[in-house]
Amino acid sequence: MQISRRSLLKGAAAAGAAVALTGKAEAREKMEPRPDAVGMLYDSTKCVGCRACVTKCKEANGLPYDRGNGAIYDAPADLSSTTKNIIKVASSGEKSAFMKQQCMHCVDPSCVSVCMMGALHKEGEGTRKIDGEKKGTGIVLYDKNTCVGCRYCQIACAYVVPKFEWNAAFPLIVKCELCRHRGDPKQEGPLAVANPACCEVCPREAVIYGKREDLLAEAKRRIAADPQRYNGQVYGEREGGGTQVLYLAGAGIKFEELGLPKLPEESSAHFSESVSHAPYLHGITPIALFATAAFVIRRNKKKEEAEHHGEGT
Amino acid sequence: MSGHDHPKAIGGAIMDPLMKLLLAIFGISLVVMLYRFFAGIGPVSNMTDGYAWGIWEPINVVVFTGIGAGAYSVGLLCYLLNNGRYHPFVRPAVLLGAIAYSLGGSSIIIALGRYWNAYLLGAVPFWNLNSVLLEVAVCVISYVCVLWVEVLPAVMDGAARSGSPGFAAWGKKWGPRLASAMPYIIALAIVLPTMHQSSLGGLMLIAGPKLHPLWHTGLLPFLALVSCLSMGYGAVVVLTTVLKYAWKAKHDQELFADMSKVNGGLLFLFAAARVGELAVHGKLKYLAVPDFHLFFFVLEMALFLVPAFMFFSSKVQRDRGRLFGAALMTVAAGALWRVDTYLTAFNGGPGWNYWPSLGEVAVTVGMAALGMAVFVLVSRLFPVVVVEDVHQTSVGAGRVRAAASR
Repeated sequence: MQISRRSLLKGAAAAGAAVALTGKAEAREKMEPRPDAVGMLYDSTKCVGCRACVTKCKEANGLPYDRGNGAIYDAPADLSSTTKNIIKVASSGEKSAFMKQQCMHCVDPSCVSVCMMGALHKEGEGTRKIDGEKKGTGIVLYDKNTCVGCRYCQIACAYVVPKFEWNAAFPLIVKCELCRHRGDPKQEGPLAVANPACCEVCPREAVIYGKREDLLAEAKRRIAADPQRYNGQVYGEREGGGTQVLYLAGAGIKFEELGLPKLPEESSAHFSESVSHAPYLHGITPIALFATAAFVIRRNKKKEEAEHHGEGT
Repeated sequence: MSGHDHPKAIGGAIMDPLMKLLLAIFGISLVVMLYRFFAGIGPVSNMTDGYAWGIWEPINVVVFTGIGAGAYSVGLLCYLLNNGRYHPFVRPAVLLGAIAYSLGGSSIIIALGRYWNAYLLGAVPFWNLNSVLLEVAVCVISYVCVLWVEVLPAVMDGAARSGSPGFAAWGKKWGPRLASAMPYIIALAIVLPTMHQSSLGGLMLIAGPKLHPLWHTGLLPFLALVSCLSMGYGAVVVLTTVLKYAWKAKHDQELFADMSKVNGGLLFLFAAARVGELAVHGKLKYLAVPDFHLFFFVLEMALFLVPAFMFFSSKVQRDRGRLFGAALMTVAAGALWRVDTYLTAFNGGPGWNYWPSLGEVAVTVGMAALGMAVFVLVSRLFPVVVVEDVHQTSVGAGRVRAAASR
């Protein structure tokens, strides 16, 4: 007894040490923004809160208007399975600012990392070949044919973006797909791959669509041209491994006040995948464990049979 | 064959009041589950886009399989470390595991929004190997099959001893064949839980920004693995003690005490790893914030440490009641840590709140009731439980023969 207890504890300690060591040794590579990635830039200081983008989004995506609570026009309170895009007002003290929420199209998305069969995937990078999808845009798309509705994406997303049709017998996950279906192959540049309705309709160019690297340059140009106007940061450049939708906020306004979470530079997907994959040593560990266990159990059983003569199981 | 340590079918009336009660409770949950398939998950639950898993994933899957890990933890002791003394625990533990895992797996089907696509999990090219949930799903499905194969020796044993010639011939023919394959099946039954039980902790690695720092750590997979072993040993002691009072199951206090010392070591290991991680990553400062997270943290630590100390006290080791209480606490400790990690320490986002609905609770309780009903049924019909003394229960022995010949 003494021996077996000690060896069990030793085994557990060794397993722990192995997890800790290999966790450091074998982190997966950091995901960089794709060179042709497209996205949006939302400038909170330019937005006047007209909500034309909210209505246009519903039209473009065939979503019903939300006239709950006696509202006489479409007036959703938050993102939901019928609202992929929303304008909110954030106020702290006397200051207030507008805020647009929709999918951030992360560079290294948590939802894509956790999705069991690649239902949520970067365009052209899923597990299933889907007609018309071209790799490189980085748009996070949804394929209902491989979705089992487990909702792990909702647990994983730091921005609480993916929504579920709770009242449907045959539900879908709903989120902004950057109006990829409105892309026009005859057009040049980013408009060939997608054409977000919200950007098209915005009267003040508070939200614009384009290649991520151009949008990032534009954001920095705006800050440099008028440093007094902005808080000096571009949200999404590095937060959570970077996003393809970028944000500018007014002077004295923190992004957290707008509802954008404070995230480390390492993406959650990178952290989770590095820690999870490490102990497997590319699949060697389970095979080695099986072989060792089978060998030891067989030997023990033979020994026992020799002692007891035919006392199985 | 020496009848000394052999399990016996309990026999007795199948439809006793307990069975009727358990089936009635399951019946209520069945109504909720059927309604869910027509109306969607929203109407029967309080789950929201913020708290998308409610209690079904944390309790029905993560806690149920933790309890079912008794099969894994006893298997480790008995087969890998070759401690044959623990043999009487194996069959009840394996049956408990098979039932708990099957219930966990079937609960998931209720919880999956698009369950009809689940068959695609068999299509390897669709697998996203980065998804911890995929690993859990595939591994748990395989393990459920392995566990029921592990239950089969009891069934074949029962068949071989039965009065029906055909059934007996079947048992006598296939029993030995299965026995020779068992080492490989048992090896699988050790590898698979090692993988998915650690993944059940790993599932929440990705939720870093939404999980309280006292719970979010790179050690989540390791902690989940240790906690499942400890929950497993606790569950086996609890189960066998209950079986003693229900059916006069054989009860070896010394054996319990020895196994519980292993459990005590695991509990200390868990607590040390947890606190050590907090210290290393400078998270001890969160212990100075008196909020409800701290309450749960302290409660968890108490549930881990109190039984750990108890297991090493000779007074507790000799006392059946106290040892039972300590074992129950270890199950509660692991269960609370799991529920906290998935629910109380999880922040669904601004504006989202969650408290389980009656429908959700009905499904969880109904599944547990079904589990107990299946355990009672199988133990009555097949030799799973090692009974203390056959002569004392001569009435039961008659029933055994009657049940076995069914």
